[in-house]
Amino acid sequence: MYERVEEVRRRALQELQAASTAEEVEALRRRYLGRKGEVTALLRSVAGLAPSERAAAGSALNALRDELEDSIRTRLEALRARERDQRLRQEAVDVTLPGRRPPVGREHVLGRTIEEIRDIFRAMGFEVVDGPELETEEFNFRRLNIPDDHPARDAQDSFYLDDERLLRTQCTAVDVRVMRERTPPMRVVTVGRCYRRDVVDSTHMPVFHQVDGFMVGEGVRFSDLKGVLAEFARKLWGPEARVRFQPSYFPFTEPSAEIAVWFRGRWLEIGGCGMFHPRVLEMAGIDPERYTAFAFGCGVDRPAMVRYGVDDIRLFWENDVRFLSQF
Amino acid sequence: MRVPWSWIAELVEFPTPQDPAAWEERFPMLGLGVESVDRTGDDWVFELETTTNRPDWLGVVGVAREVAAACGGRLRLPAVELLESDPPAREVAWVEVLQPGLCHRYVGRVVVDVQVGPSPAWMVDRLERCGLRSVNNVVDVTNYVMLETGQPLHAFDLDRLAGGGVVVRRARAGERLVTLDGQERALPEGALVIADRERVVALGGILGGQDTEIRPQTRRVLLESAWFHPVAVRRTARALGIRTEGSTRHERGGDPERACSAAARAAQLVQQLAGGRVLRGELDVYPDPEPARQVTLRPQRLRHVLGVEIPEPEVEDVLRRLGFAPRGDGTRWVVAVPSHRRDVEREEDLIEEVARIWGYDRIPQTLPVDVMAAGAVSPDLVAERRVREALLRAGLTEVLTLTLLHPGELEAVGIPEGHPLRDAIPLRNPLTRDHTHLRTTLLPSLVEVLRTNRVRGNLDVHVFEIGRVFRNSSAGWEERKVVGIARIGRALEGGWNLPPEAVETSFYHLKGTVEAVLEALHVPGWDLRPEGQPWLHPYRAASLWLGTGPVGWVGELHPDVCERFDLHGRAYVAELELEPLARAARTTPQYRPLPRTPATERDLAVVVAEGVAAADVVRAIRKAAGPVLERCEPFDVYTGPQVPAGHRSLALRLVFRDPSRTLTSEEVDGILDHLRQRLREELGAQFR
Repeated sequence: MYERVEEVRRRALQELQAASTAEEVEALRRRYLGRKGEVTALLRSVAGLAPSERAAAGSALNALRDELEDSIRTRLEALRARERDQRLRQEAVDVTLPGRRPPVGREHVLGRTIEEIRDIFRAMGFEVVDGPELETEEFNFRRLNIPDDHPARDAQDSFYLDDERLLRTQCTAVDVRVMRERTPPMRVVTVGRCYRRDVVDSTHMPVFHQVDGFMVGEGVRFSDLKGVLAEFARKLWGPEARVRFQPSYFPFTEPSAEIAVWFRGRWLEIGGCGMFHPRVLEMAGIDPERYTAFAFGCGVDRPAMVRYGVDDIRLFWENDVRFLSQF
Repeated sequence: MRVPWSWIAELVEFPTPQDPAAWEERFPMLGLGVESVDRTGDDWVFELETTTNRPDWLGVVGVAREVAAACGGRLRLPAVELLESDPPAREVAWVEVLQPGLCHRYVGRVVVDVQVGPSPAWMVDRLERCGLRSVNNVVDVTNYVMLETGQPLHAFDLDRLAGGGVVVRRARAGERLVTLDGQERALPEGALVIADRERVVALGGILGGQDTEIRPQTRRVLLESAWFHPVAVRRTARALGIRTEGSTRHERGGDPERACSAAARAAQLVQQLAGGRVLRGELDVYPDPEPARQVTLRPQRLRHVLGVEIPEPEVEDVLRRLGFAPRGDGTRWVVAVPSHRRDVEREEDLIEEVARIWGYDRIPQTLPVDVMAAGAVSPDLVAERRVREALLRAGLTEVLTLTLLHPGELEAVGIPEGHPLRDAIPLRNPLTRDHTHLRTTLLPSLVEVLRTNRVRGNLDVHVFEIGRVFRNSSAGWEERKVVGIARIGRALEGGWNLPPEAVETSFYHLKGTVEAVLEALHVPGWDLRPEGQPWLHPYRAASLWLGTGPVGWVGELHPDVCERFDLHGRAYVAELELEPLARAARTTPQYRPLPRTPATERDLAVVVAEGVAAADVVRAIRKAAGPVLERCEPFDVYTGPQVPAGHRSLALRLVFRDPSRTLTSEEVDGILDHLRQRLREELGAQFR
């Protein structure tokens, strides 16, 4: 009996090893372990053995059955894994082919700069507002203490629509509008388009952007102006940014200063600032004895050119997508 | 203004030796911009950029005064010692001012028996360093004194002045003058001129006339040193297209006091260089002398405005060094303003003077102490930002285009004559022929962006702009913000192995972009209606309706326009008004509970005639199904052999749900039966 068991075992394991598909393995299971299988038949034959042999034969056959079941399961799993792998192999992709995607939307580099500037001032407690580009001489000049005969009023420099209306030449006009409508304290910033009669070249466009802001309160000081603009410069140009304030002249501020930022080894002039001239406050209905105010106006386009290494301002307006997608 | 350092050094007694190189940095800290520095020999010549409020800086003395004030030096003005002879000047010449409003002061000096000739080398050299050419010793003196003091002067040949004198008046109609540059000029009527008894001899403050100029044979000289009105000088100079050293200085507004001292200084130098005798006294017409000005300065105000404590003695010291004369106690100074600083009118001007000389860089950086509300963004800008972000997320690239255009551009994109968008507001003084009007729509500039890119081989262009347009309406000129969109080329990158219709931009891609914006803003109740625009494909165009009116248009750009702009493909464009969208936007959408009951899905294929829009079918289904229909979306459109000619089959996915209970299959089937019945009745629908 023992030899018989051993012979069946050897043969079954050999055939199992040779089986290459799950079906063949299933056939082997039926042949050996099925109802009419060889091992099943041997197990049945145990009853006919002498009582002294029954126990040993029974346990040897049970062991054989367990071993075969184990081997079949293992073999089946291995074969299934191989079949699945073959199936998946046929689904292989070439990962180096281009990905499918909608185009990537890009901010215009000036649009992005404008948003950054708005965020910086909002974080410093400024309210971000907007104003008209079509302005009147009243707001663009007169209320900024720029009298009718001032050289800045020269029609050579501004686009006029009629005797009184023009395209704003600076965003400070928005300050005037806000100051007239509200009461102090105020802390307001605006970013927008301004217009000047400039011939187009690599550094001039008739349309450009300006950020303009002001703060009115009891006890607003020139030192606050320096502090706020230095903070602005650090946020926009990096923590190392240094700011320089040089005396200058604007009809609507007194004292007045020009602002420059130290960037990549040189001073970059970014705009003008100062304490609002008392007459400007008076014209806005604000008592200049009680309140003081600072104001500033900075260019957006030319500093952005330097910051991003753009050498021709016309690139901003040409909108070649190869340019736009670089930012 | 070119200023040689050697000249400054002559006028300032320095407390310590100065390195001119350091002044390249120091001048700007005083408000004097340095445009360039030339080293000539051992001298440094600074090209200074001066601000319009400081006429005194257009003379070396004015600059030297700043230098002295800044470094604690002393200003040494050249001593004027005149040897005058009889007869008195007024006996040989006369000056009359008919326009005292335009000429506050006119000072004349007479020098006789001069020998006109070349100037000495030092004079020629100094003028050259300042950028002027030597003419002769008399003319050179007038230029030299102008450079020194900032006061423009002119020299007339007195023997050639008819009647032996000059009158300041306005030009009469038809008067002409041959100016020093040899040009004969027709004078604008009313221009400020200097004339003799017979004719105009000079343009006041701008340029002299050739007839009365100093020549080798000139013996008697009338020197002019006057204060002309800045605006009068500017207008005439501009009208004639002339700009001279003199006009630049007069336009800034001079100092009437200086006119007199400069005349004496010039007479002295003429005598020194050209010999002759200075006749006694000046011819001085100054009917209405300007009173000296006094301005109050409070130390407390100074501190309050600047945010820094400057010791009072230092304040007084700065003011004195600049030529001001402060008097008073510790609570207020009354400051006498020198005549050369007429720009100083109020307390703030003095505060700036103190800050400037004491040093802007020494004022600390502080942050405002005022307690205020946190920063905010105005609601219209919030909506604008949301629209912008939605478009960026939808894969569109932001562009910026000029606000100015030529009306031909409106015509070129297919806006017909008489259309309101053709009514662009013109600029009264355009600079170039292509920028003459304000844009009424973003369409021309966006089509131009497509063109620019396509001709350069950038085939896929998906752009948007949020910008302003200007319209001429019955209510006047309006300024509005609009959103413009333009798309062309592939809407999907990497679409290899895909059919073109899955890859190329279509009307539905454009519509999807618009939907994305509306969804980002949570705009309820909008509707796209098939309505055309002249610049759009007549059968691929729609209006966006919001509430009771259209707020924009979307569609395929008309093939004719595509062809005109060499786009070589179909382009899709839209323009939406931003303000109505911003108004309709819900900034704080409210939570709706998520459903807890299961949904039941059914597909329905509806065959309708070609003219029936998908939206009509959906609307009819929604109406018939009632609130248990949660969603109803077309997912396939079929025309072909299996549907009758002139019809199409629309497959819709219907999702039913009752939030309070589970719908049974029989109920849903019942609703579907009802639906089919209603669609048959209302739209003549058939079912597959």
